[in-house]
Amino acid sequence: MKIWLIFILAAIGTYAIRVSGLALFRDEDRMPPLVRRALRMIGPAAMGAIVGSSLLLDNGAVRPFGAWHVAAFAAVALAAWKRSLALTMLGGAAVFAVLLLAQGV
Amino acid sequence: MTSRAAFADGVRDVAGLVPGVAVFGLSYGALIRSRGIDPIAGAVSSLIVGAGAGQTAAVEVVVAGGTIAIAVLSALIVNARFALYSAALAPMFGRFSRPWRLGLAYLVSDQTVGLYGRGQERWTTPALQQYYMLGVTVPMRTGWVGGTAAGILLGPVVPGAWQIGVVVPLMFIALAIPSIRGLPELVAAVTGLVAVVALKDLPLGLNIVAAALLGMTAGLLVRQRAGGASVGAHASVAATVEARAHREDSADST
Repeated sequence: MKIWLIFILAAIGTYAIRVSGLALFRDEDRMPPLVRRALRMIGPAAMGAIVGSSLLLDNGAVRPFGAWHVAAFAAVALAAWKRSLALTMLGGAAVFAVLLLAQGV
Repeated sequence: MTSRAAFADGVRDVAGLVPGVAVFGLSYGALIRSRGIDPIAGAVSSLIVGAGAGQTAAVEVVVAGGTIAIAVLSALIVNARFALYSAALAPMFGRFSRPWRLGLAYLVSDQTVGLYGRGQERWTTPALQQYYMLGVTVPMRTGWVGGTAAGILLGPVVPGAWQIGVVVPLMFIALAIPSIRGLPELVAAVTGLVAVVALKDLPLGLNIVAAALLGMTAGLLVRQRAGGASVGAHASVAATVEARAHREDSADST
């Protein structure tokens, strides 16, 4: 039940954000400069936080260095090189799979 | 010059991006399963929220034991960038009829917002532009929802030893790197990454929200310091996201 409520509220809030610019600003130039700059920064900042949370932490403790980190490095290199969503994910996953197999899992 | 041709043109322009979003959806679906989230709710979330980064943030907070309010807040902070897209699309969408405007706003994503410039160039009337944007957005949302459903269905057959959770950092690396266009964005991302670990003992998954806000502030400060230099670089979001979409497009189709 809790998860349904979260997704429904997130859907309503996200839709409100999606139409906010159409309703409030009419076009990007009418947006206050500080708001515009803050909105540009929040994407990279939030994604950095999610990468940190899911990669460097494991159930609240720091994850020991291993295959996860190496796969992430490979993904960063691929993303910087090609900027392709599919290639980055598949390449990172392939590196991770090879490392797991090497460990004999 | 028919509405059908405009729709087909949009579909063609976005086709190269759909495999990427489908893989992202597949990973999100597998994540839903591996985290023990209600699979129906997980699939519905892709349909109704339609923004993978925000959905994943909410799931991560739930897994960390966060409350409903913090999970929703995390999703909305991650999705705040849509306000920027919305403002960028306002001049074009302002000429659409109300149902089209409100409907298309619901479907726009990180990958599709940049394509509106192409649509405006090729299709001259608002009536045809509506169909172009529909052709751009519908395949992406379909790929996202379809990928999620497939990931949820395949999730249980994936052995635990595969550690499927690794797809979460991978997909956010894939999304974040192209959004880093200069030093301020890089500082914002690295600060968010470091802060979420430094603040790991905050209760209820609050560290994600706090780290995102710290990263945003750090990015703004660097941007401020760069000051005068970046005034000239104030290209509209339209131009920058469009350039990005073109790059992704060519990268995906090679």
